[in-house]
Amino acid sequence: MSKQLRRSAGARRSGAIAVVLAVAAVTATACSSGGSGQQQDDSQPLEVWIRQDAGTPHAESAEALTKAFTKETGIEAKLVAVGATDFETKLQQRTAQKDLPDIVINDTGQLGNMVTQGLVREVDRKGIAGSGDLADRAWEAAQGYDGKYYGVPFNSQAFALLIRKDWREKVGADVPKSWDELTELAVKFTEDDPDGNGKDDTAGMVVPGTTTRGYLTWWFSTMLWSEGGDFVKKQGDGYTAAINEPGSVQAVEKLQAMFCDSKVVQPGASTADSSTTHTVFESGKGGIYLTGPYMLPRFDGSLGKDKYEVVAPPPGAEGASALAEGENVYLMAGSGNESGQQKFAEFAASPEGQKIGMGVDNGGVIVRLPVNTKVDGAAERKDPRWDVFQKVYDESGRNAPALPNWATVRQISSEGLNGVVSDCSRDVAGAMDKLAGEIDSELEKQEAKG
Amino acid sequence: MAVTEARAPRKADIRRPPRTDQPVKARLRRAATPWLFLAPALLLFLYFKFIPMAQAVQMSFQEVRPFLGNTYVGGENYSEIAGSADFGAAVWHTVFLAVATTAGSIVIGLALALLLEGQTRSLWFIRSAIFLPVVTAMAVVAEVWRVMYYPAEGGALNSVLGVLGLGPSEFLNSPDSSLASIAFVGIWRGAPYDMMIFLAGLAGVDRMLYEASAVDGASRFRRIWHVTLPGLRPVFAILLTLAAIRGLRIFTEVFLLTNGGPDGSTEVLLTLTYKLGLERNELGVAAAGTVLLFLILLVLTIASRLRRRDVRAR
Repeated sequence: MSKQLRRSAGARRSGAIAVVLAVAAVTATACSSGGSGQQQDDSQPLEVWIRQDAGTPHAESAEALTKAFTKETGIEAKLVAVGATDFETKLQQRTAQKDLPDIVINDTGQLGNMVTQGLVREVDRKGIAGSGDLADRAWEAAQGYDGKYYGVPFNSQAFALLIRKDWREKVGADVPKSWDELTELAVKFTEDDPDGNGKDDTAGMVVPGTTTRGYLTWWFSTMLWSEGGDFVKKQGDGYTAAINEPGSVQAVEKLQAMFCDSKVVQPGASTADSSTTHTVFESGKGGIYLTGPYMLPRFDGSLGKDKYEVVAPPPGAEGASALAEGENVYLMAGSGNESGQQKFAEFAASPEGQKIGMGVDNGGVIVRLPVNTKVDGAAERKDPRWDVFQKVYDESGRNAPALPNWATVRQISSEGLNGVVSDCSRDVAGAMDKLAGEIDSELEKQEAKG
Repeated sequence: MAVTEARAPRKADIRRPPRTDQPVKARLRRAATPWLFLAPALLLFLYFKFIPMAQAVQMSFQEVRPFLGNTYVGGENYSEIAGSADFGAAVWHTVFLAVATTAGSIVIGLALALLLEGQTRSLWFIRSAIFLPVVTAMAVVAEVWRVMYYPAEGGALNSVLGVLGLGPSEFLNSPDSSLASIAFVGIWRGAPYDMMIFLAGLAGVDRMLYEASAVDGASRFRRIWHVTLPGLRPVFAILLTLAAIRGLRIFTEVFLLTNGGPDGSTEVLLTLTYKLGLERNELGVAAAGTVLLFLILLVLTIASRLRRRDVRAR
C-alpha cells in the first residue's frame, strides 16, 4: 500500500475515533442531572396549564379565570391551553427539562401517576382558605395512596344515562328502576324498531368497549359497583384484587350477556372509543348512553333537547353507584412562587372562580359540577337536567380507587373485560380469576398490595 | 555501447525517490474535504439519531423518572416486555402482518405495474390516483377504514359482500378476522408504493428480450414469467428488505383501528411496547421494547446479507 493510501486509512480511523468520542462526550453532558430547591419570589408570574385546545370556549373560560385571578390578587398569571390529545407528552417534555409549569389543571385520575414521578407537591388541606366549603367527595379525589392530599379540587362530574325519550315512549316502557330493567329496555330498543324506519339498525346500549385508555373499565365501573362488585378492595394496609369475587363475576356475566346473548350493544362496540360512541348516539343508532354532562350542549344541538332525557343510573343488586371524576388544580414541584400557587388554587375553588369556570355565558364549561358547596350549579345554569348529575354525584358518586397508579389497573382490567366480551365462549369466572392475578401482580409492583 | 550509456546511474536507485506528492497541509485538506461535506448531515444525524439511540439503549437499563432522576434496574425492563404473557402472541402477529402485507403488496403492486405500464397521459392520471393511499395520513386512512369496516349489514364493505352473496363479516370486531382486516389495510396502502418501484424496474428490462421471446412464440404469461420476473430480481430484493423492515415496525394502523384488540388478537410488538411503556409513563420499558425490535431487525438483516453472500459465493 502506498504512503498516500495508508495516510487516508489512518485519517479515516482517527476520524471514526473522533466521532465516537464526540458522541460519548455529548451523551455524557446530556445526561447530567439538575433540579434544586427553588428561590421563592411572591410576585413571580405563574404559568397555568389546562387540558383544553386553544381557541375553544373552554380555553376562553380558563383565560377569564386567570385574568380574574390576576385582578383579584395582583399576581401575574399566564394561561397555556395545551391540547387534550398530547397533554401528557408536553408535560413529559417539560419534566425532562426539569422546568414544570406552576399550575396544572388535570384529571383526578392522573394524580397517582404525577405523585409517583414527583411532579406535584403536597397540599395541606386545612391550610387552604375556604377548604371547608369544598365537597368531601371532591377532596377524596385529590388524595393520594398515602392519604395525603396532592391537589386542590376544581371540577367534578358524575355520569348519568341519556335515554332516547321518543324511543322509550314508542316501545311503551317506563324509566328503568334497576340495571335489569335497563337491560330489558335496551333489548326493546334493539329489537322493536323504535325509530320506525323498518330497518334493524338500532342498538339499545351504546358502549365504548375499547381497551384504549381503559374505556371499557371506565364505562363498566358504574354497572359493576351498582351490582356489588369491584375491581380492587381495601385489605390491610393496601388493596387486593376483587374482580373475581362472586358479586363481580355476576356483573361481568351480565356484561358478557349484553354483548353476546341479547346483543344490545352497538356494532363495533368492542373497539369503539368515546368519539365513536358520541356519533352513534347522536346519529340515532343507539338508545341509551352513559356519559357526562359535558355532552348536553352537543346533543342539544345535534339531536334536540326534546328527543332525549337525563336519568340517574338505577340501582343494581347493591344500591346505586356511579363513577365520579373530576379535575384538580395541581401545584407543581419546583415552582418559584409557592404562595402564588396556593392563592391560585384557592381562587379557582372559590365561588367566584367556580362561576367563571362554569361557562354559563360562553358555553366553555371547565367546571361541570362545582366543587364548592356554596355554588348551586343547576340554578346558575337554569337547566334542571344538571340537577340530575349533581344529585348523582352527591348521593351515589364514587371515585376511582386511590391507587398509586389507577390508570394502569384500569388498562389491565379493560383488557381482561374486552376478552370476555369479544370471545363469547370464554368462561367468565376463569377469566376473572386470571385478571385478578394480573391485577394483584400490578398492585405488588406499585407496592400497594394489602 | 549505446545500451550502457542509456542506463541511469546506480546511486540514484539507492537514494529515496523524490517527494512527488503535495505538502502536509494540502494532504490534510484533501483527506478532510469529504468529512467537511458530510459534516452538516453527520451533525444532524448525531443529534437526532445517534445520540437519541445511545440514550434509548441507556434508558432501557434504567427506571426512567425524569424529575426525580433515573435509577439503574439492569435487565428488569427487558424481562417486563419479553416475559409478558402477550409477548409471544405479539411477535407472531407482527411477523404475520409483515409477511401478509409484504406478499400482498408485492403481488398486487406487480399486477398494477404490469397493467399500468406505459407513457400515455391517461395512464399517468390513473397511476397518480392509485398512488393516493400512500400519501394520505395514516390517521385519516384508519378512520375511513373503520367506517368502511362497519360490522353490521349496512356497512360499506358488508354491502359489497352482500351483493356478492357473502354474509356480513365482523371485520375488526372479531378476534378471527381482525388481523386479516388490518393486513388488508396495509396492503391497500403498500401496493401503490410497490407499484411505483416495479414501474421503474420494468422500464429497465431489456425490450429486445420481449421481442425475441415473442418471435420464439412465447405467450404473454410465459413472457412475464421468463423475461419480466427475472429482470425484476433486484427490485424484488429491495422491496422485500424495505417491506420487511416496514412491516415489522407496524404500529399506527393497529393502534388506531383496534389498539391490539379485540381480546389481544391484533397486538403487535410496538403496541405492546406502547402499552407497557408509554401509556404507563415507564419510558425505560418502552426503550427496552424498541431495542428488542431493533435487535430482531438487526439479526434479520445480517442473516439476509450472509445468505446473499453465501449464494453469491456459490
